[in-house]
Amino acid sequence: MGAATRRIDPPPFYGELFARERTRLPGHGRAALDRVREEAFTRFLGLGLPTQKAEAWKYSPITRLANREMALAEPTVPGLEEVSAWFGGGPATRRLIFVDGHLQPEFSHVGGLPAGVRVMGLARAIETIPEAVAEALAGCDPERAFSQLNAALTRSGAWIELADGVALEEPLQLLFLHRGGDSAVMTHPRIVIRLGRGARLHLLETHAGSGSGHCFVNLVGQAVLGDGAELLCDRLQLGGSGLSLLARGFLEMGAGARLRATTVALGSGFLRNEIELRLAGREGEAILSGLYMPRGEEHVDTLVRIHHEAENCHSDQFYKGVVEDRARAAFAGKIIVHRGAQKTNAYQANNNLLLSDRAEVNSKPELEIYADDVKCSHGATCGDLDPEALFYLRARGLAREVASSLLVYAFANEVIERMADARLQALTRRAMLERVPGGAALEAEGLL
Amino acid sequence: MSSTIETLKEHTSGEYKYGFMTAVEEETTPPGLDEEVIRRISARKEEPEWLTEWRLAAYRRWRAMAEPDWQKVTYPPIDYQAISYFAAPKQKERPKSLDDIDPEIRRTYEKLGIPIREQEILAGVAVDYVFDSVSVATTFKNKLAELGIVFCSISEAVRDHPELVREYLGSVVPQGDNFFAALNSAVFTDGSFVYVPKGVRCPMELSTYFRINAAGTGQFERTLIIADEGSYVSYLEGCTAPMRDENQLHAAVVELIALDDAEIKYSTVQNWYPGDREGKGGIYNFVTKRGICRGRRSKISWTQVETGSAITWKYPSCILQGDDSVGEFYSVALTNNFQQADTGTKMIHIGKRTRSRIVAKGIAAGRSDSTYRGLVRILRGATGARNHTQCDSLLIGDRCGAHTVPYIEVRNRSAEVEHEATTSKISEDQLFYCRSRGFPEEDAVALIVNGFCREVMEELPMEFAVEARKLLGISLEGSVG
Repeated sequence: MGAATRRIDPPPFYGELFARERTRLPGHGRAALDRVREEAFTRFLGLGLPTQKAEAWKYSPITRLANREMALAEPTVPGLEEVSAWFGGGPATRRLIFVDGHLQPEFSHVGGLPAGVRVMGLARAIETIPEAVAEALAGCDPERAFSQLNAALTRSGAWIELADGVALEEPLQLLFLHRGGDSAVMTHPRIVIRLGRGARLHLLETHAGSGSGHCFVNLVGQAVLGDGAELLCDRLQLGGSGLSLLARGFLEMGAGARLRATTVALGSGFLRNEIELRLAGREGEAILSGLYMPRGEEHVDTLVRIHHEAENCHSDQFYKGVVEDRARAAFAGKIIVHRGAQKTNAYQANNNLLLSDRAEVNSKPELEIYADDVKCSHGATCGDLDPEALFYLRARGLAREVASSLLVYAFANEVIERMADARLQALTRRAMLERVPGGAALEAEGLL
Repeated sequence: MSSTIETLKEHTSGEYKYGFMTAVEEETTPPGLDEEVIRRISARKEEPEWLTEWRLAAYRRWRAMAEPDWQKVTYPPIDYQAISYFAAPKQKERPKSLDDIDPEIRRTYEKLGIPIREQEILAGVAVDYVFDSVSVATTFKNKLAELGIVFCSISEAVRDHPELVREYLGSVVPQGDNFFAALNSAVFTDGSFVYVPKGVRCPMELSTYFRINAAGTGQFERTLIIADEGSYVSYLEGCTAPMRDENQLHAAVVELIALDDAEIKYSTVQNWYPGDREGKGGIYNFVTKRGICRGRRSKISWTQVETGSAITWKYPSCILQGDDSVGEFYSVALTNNFQQADTGTKMIHIGKRTRSRIVAKGIAAGRSDSTYRGLVRILRGATGARNHTQCDSLLIGDRCGAHTVPYIEVRNRSAEVEHEATTSKISEDQLFYCRSRGFPEEDAVALIVNGFCREVMEELPMEFAVEARKLLGISLEGSVG
């Protein structure tokens, strides 16, 4: 039970890899950045890989994946269809496209930006604003091993900056294609978002993995929302059995800032979403929605931490899961109301459909409250489809499979509906239906 | 309702009123723990060889274990070598009748409001009195014996019913279960033992009253209750300790076993000394309580009202092994000043159609911290299992904390698990309503808190419910205004 068993030393290949690759990383030779990478890597070694004894990783056997010897992924070029299949937004949508962690300039397009908006790949940001990048990397998540590993090894990602009062009306898409290869590879993308006072951004983030080659993606996103800023974020994640996606988002929100994030994590070999959010100014609002639908042997877990640090903030977590076959799902959501954060209004819901006797659902909805004038509540449920609802549909002539698919669809669609971008929403809905047995038939029979 | 208010009023002047110390000659072992001390305790109690070995095995396990640190409480490191592991009022031999009890001890229980003799006659509750490390009296023994019910101290049970003790001791909470349970297994001194034979419905409440008296000691009692097929027993436990600046350790283990169709109802009103207003002193209440519904259709119900202790660390749990068995947990945890409570339950569903219900109410005032920590686990074979959990927290004042840490683990599709929790402060509207009808603020708060806890209070046997209501009022004193 001691602290010793909560971590293990990273295997030696990490050290060898860092020694080998550091000179090839973008920005090598810039003292500030080199120092940040060096320090981050030392911290990573010190923190070690978390075992399941570490509370945040209780249901997530990450060491098995992270212990496997991996190399940094080499760039490959996909066909256009492989990429365009995941396009969200409209014709004017700007996109940064990453294939195995490498920015693909051929497919990407971020031209014609209004004044006060800066969108570029991380490598470019390192060239143009190295100090700012070094500072961003150094200041994020000092106690989390994977964030430190990312800071040490990141070589691509996105730098998005909106000046005060600027709004980007068309969505901006970050499209990640994880193809993997014959040997195990890893990538460490980093997304940095800075929204000035009253700035507005609609971000689409998609992760698709086609291959079954082992691909370990250690993504770290960090965002600062100035007072009154607004971030809309729609995310779709769907990968093959070889994809292990570890996506961490750390957000700081100023007074009156608003966040609406919807994450649909349909499945992957291993998928983990972490969101840590600081409501640091008064009257901030965060609405987080999520859907996970692992099947086969997949593992999907979600960790949400919302810090209410200021008065009068509102947060809402709405997470649903459909778990099939031998899949495993975990949800750990935590609302932390700090001392003095009076008039907090926080809600958290986690509902699960467990559709197989071999599957597993773990839910841990937590409240940690240090202020008295608050309204905080949570609810968590787990169960099978409602037999009465099934009977109702069967009595109206629907085959059993169609009836249960319809119920699953209705359950899952409640989250998908919350996506703000129509095209990504439609794409997500289709991908969701493909995961439901008989889902395709629903559309064919005109039931939707 | 008016009686509630009266009892609250009655107590508006007193703080912890059980904080006196009894001047009784005590026999204690010198502080420290090693195999020799354990052998000595075992020898002093004239225990059979197997139990001495059992204790030593626990001690060896304990030495290799680390103190748990996951709970949300903080306290300075405990020096386990500074504790005296055995303290007993000096007496030649166990009194033959109630009249032979040391008058000082008798007066102690009278001051606590539970006169040994009157309790027996008036309330019709059979009581086992545990004073520091030993049981000093057990009432109603003969009457119970007519029905075949064994109710005695565990030391007597070891002597008179070794086959039962040997079969069941450690069968629910094994020696190496956790750090404090292992320590208890090594050094436990006394506690109660209950065996209810097949088909017998115990006609009265059984009760144990625990009292820590001596300084520099810990209390390590062990309770074992076995309800044989088709039997029923309701068991109550109460506890107090003197006010002292030092922290005293109370590490008990309670094991319940319910066979086919048996039912055990276990109620606790925990009122160990909570420390003073500055957080000095108080009992560390680190307790392992667990019951197993081994038989089909068996039922175990835990009800607890936790108002005392500087720190509470306890998770009365149910292992629902028998098909159609039922587990219940009703809890009120009230913390004030610098108290810390990390308490909750575990419901482990193994059998088919097992059902569990959890109602936990936490009230935090002053600078205290109150945490509900609970686990509901539905194993693969628990087809048709049901759980409903409700946790509500009430905060009084802006310096306290209330936390909810539920774990829900489901591995069977037919299971239905529901969890809901809320945290809020006392409603201004309700307070205003009471105040405008002339209630002083403190009484109004006590009234609202009693209402908040009603669902749990209703589960308590009547004798206890009155006491528990009073306690809530007293514990809240000084928390408003």
